[in-house]
Parts: sequence; structure tokens; C-alpha cells
Amino acid sequence: MLRHRQLPVHSLQSSIIIIIVISPRTADTSSLGLLIGIIITTMVVYAVLILNKAGGLIYQRDFNPGLQKLSSNDYLILAGTFHGVHAITSQISPTNETSSSGLEVLESENFVMRCFQTLTGTKFLIFAEPRQQNLDVVVRRVYELYADYVMKNPFYQIEMPIRSEGFDRHLTSYIKPHQ
Amino acid sequence: MVVYSFFIFDRHCECIYIRQWLNNTPSVAQPLSRPVTASSVATVATSVAEKPAPGSRLSMAEQAKLVFGVIFSLRNMVKKLCGPEDSFLCYRTGHYKLHYYETLSSLRFVMLTDIRTESLKSSLHQIYVNLYVEYVVKNPLSPVEHAGGEGVNNELFELGIDGFVRTID
Repeated sequence: MLRHRQLPVHSLQSSIIIIIVISPRTADTSSLGLLIGIIITTMVVYAVLILNKAGGLIYQRDFNPGLQKLSSNDYLILAGTFHGVHAITSQISPTNETSSSGLEVLESENFVMRCFQTLTGTKFLIFAEPRQQNLDVVVRRVYELYADYVMKNPFYQIEMPIRSEGFDRHLTSYIKPHQ
Repeated sequence: MVVYSFFIFDRHCECIYIRQWLNNTPSVAQPLSRPVTASSVATVATSVAEKPAPGSRLSMAEQAKLVFGVIFSLRNMVKKLCGPEDSFLCYRTGHYKLHYYETLSSLRFVMLTDIRTESLKSSLHQIYVNLYVEYVVKNPLSPVEHAGGEGVNNELFELGIDGFVRTID
């Protein structure tokens, strides 16, 4: 008989399912949790982008290699394009609901992107590895950090690019805590 | 799972096939018009394709144009971010999910389903291989270019699509 044990993975780390095949005579399997725990997982959020309500890029930061490097002009174009696409996707809803949300998750072969739009129209885009779990949680946490370290900064001009050291630092320590 | 609609776009960015399913009953495939130009607006406005489908805010022809705009932009965005070998698979909103498959000949298959549906990439590939190639490409009476949906709208292809969508359910 085979026994399978699955590790409940940390929300920010890649999902790894570990199957350990043990002898049927082994009675005590409690120590296996320790063995699983020492396996080091890698962080997989590629980049974070923040768009203001007019579709302008106000924050862009790469965390892990995975996406191609673009010029700052290309990022601005990308943000503007996405802003338009997001508006159209809420128009083409085939269901009869009147208030349709725009694009929320975009999947490609090499990445998955989660978009969260606040009530004021600011958009948070998180690019991560495909099959990354719990991006909802990540995006909400980034929004919280934005509220704490950008919106509460008295020197921040609204809708303008974010240059806040505190935000940078806390975002880094949340997304890449071990580095 | 629910399939709402299905579109095929050719390499000239023209919509060559639209199929819509409402409440799980297939609607009659609508005849397609050529892309609207300023001179043909008067004639197109009276065609069936321009009439709004019941229960939907946009007509199917208008919706097809928006869908094409979205997939074209997202495809370019993905290729810019991850290099030319990456391809856009699907996106999800709060109310529907759009699946995308592009062949090497730039034929684009798009399917709109409910949000709980898993990836339909292989299903769209099957539609291309088993239905489009068999009943449209291999049909001796079908033209090479399907301007206005000519040649795609044949009975075997329609029946095949209907049967296929039922098996996905």
C-alpha cells in the first residue's frame, strides 16, 4: 500500500506536490513533515505594475527574471494598451449582467497576470509564474502596502509616479523575504 | 460548463465565422457581412448580423470586432513581455472566460465560456484539426479565402461544432 502526503504550501511560493513512497511497515510518518519542510522553494512573482485611473504607469518594478526587459517607453505603451483592453473586456460580456468587471486573470504559456482594480480605478498588475496560487492574496497585500506607504505619504502627489522608499522596501520584503 | 459563443478570425483579421449559444440552445448561424466601410454602412445596417442579439447589449458583429481588438492587443502584449515564442492562452473576467488558439497560418479560434471552465486550448486545437481542416480546408467547393464567411458556413462544419460543444459540456 502506498501512502501519500501533501505539503500545504506557503501562499507566495510555488506549489510543489511531494509524494513520498514509504514501506507499509513504517508506522510513524510524523517525522516526514520535517523532511518536506527543508525543501527550499523559490519565489515566483516576476513584476508588479501600478496604473493610475487614466491608464498611466505610476509604478513598475521587476522582482524575478522571467519577463523580458522593456524600455520605460514600452512599459508606458503597455500600460495604456492594457487600460483600453480592460475597458473593452467589460463590454463584451456575453451574460446579461449589467455591471461586468474587466479582465481579472490573464494566462499565457510562460506567465499568469492578476489584475485588481480598486473602486477609484487604480489597477494593480501582478505578473507571476504560471500555476501560481493565491495571487488574489498577494494583490490585496500590495494594495494594502500602497495605501499605507503611498497614500499616507503627505508628499505624494496623487496620480503621479510613485517614488517612495518605504513602499519599495516593504514590497521587496513581502515579495522576496529571503533575499 | 456553458459555452456562450465561438469565433474564427482569418489571417486578414476578418471574422469568418460566428456561432452563439444562448441558454444551451444553439442559435441559427448568422450570415456575416464584409467589414464595414463608410460606403457600405447603409447596406450593412439592414443585414441580420447587425441586429442586436436578444438579451445582449451588442450585436454579434460588433462583439466580434471588439473580441478581435482584445485578442490582438493581448497577443502582442504577451509576445512583447515574454518573447515571440510565448502565446496568449486565455483571460478571465468576473463573468466570462475567453479562450484563444492561434494556428501557424494565423487562423484564430476564440471561445467564450463561463469562468469555471478549464483551459480549452486542446479543444480549440481539436476543432481546427478535426472540423476546420476536414470540412472547410478539404472541401473542394470551398474558396481559399473565406471572405464574409463563405465556405466555413457549411452544414457538416456546423453539425460538427454543435456536437463538439456538447461533448465539452
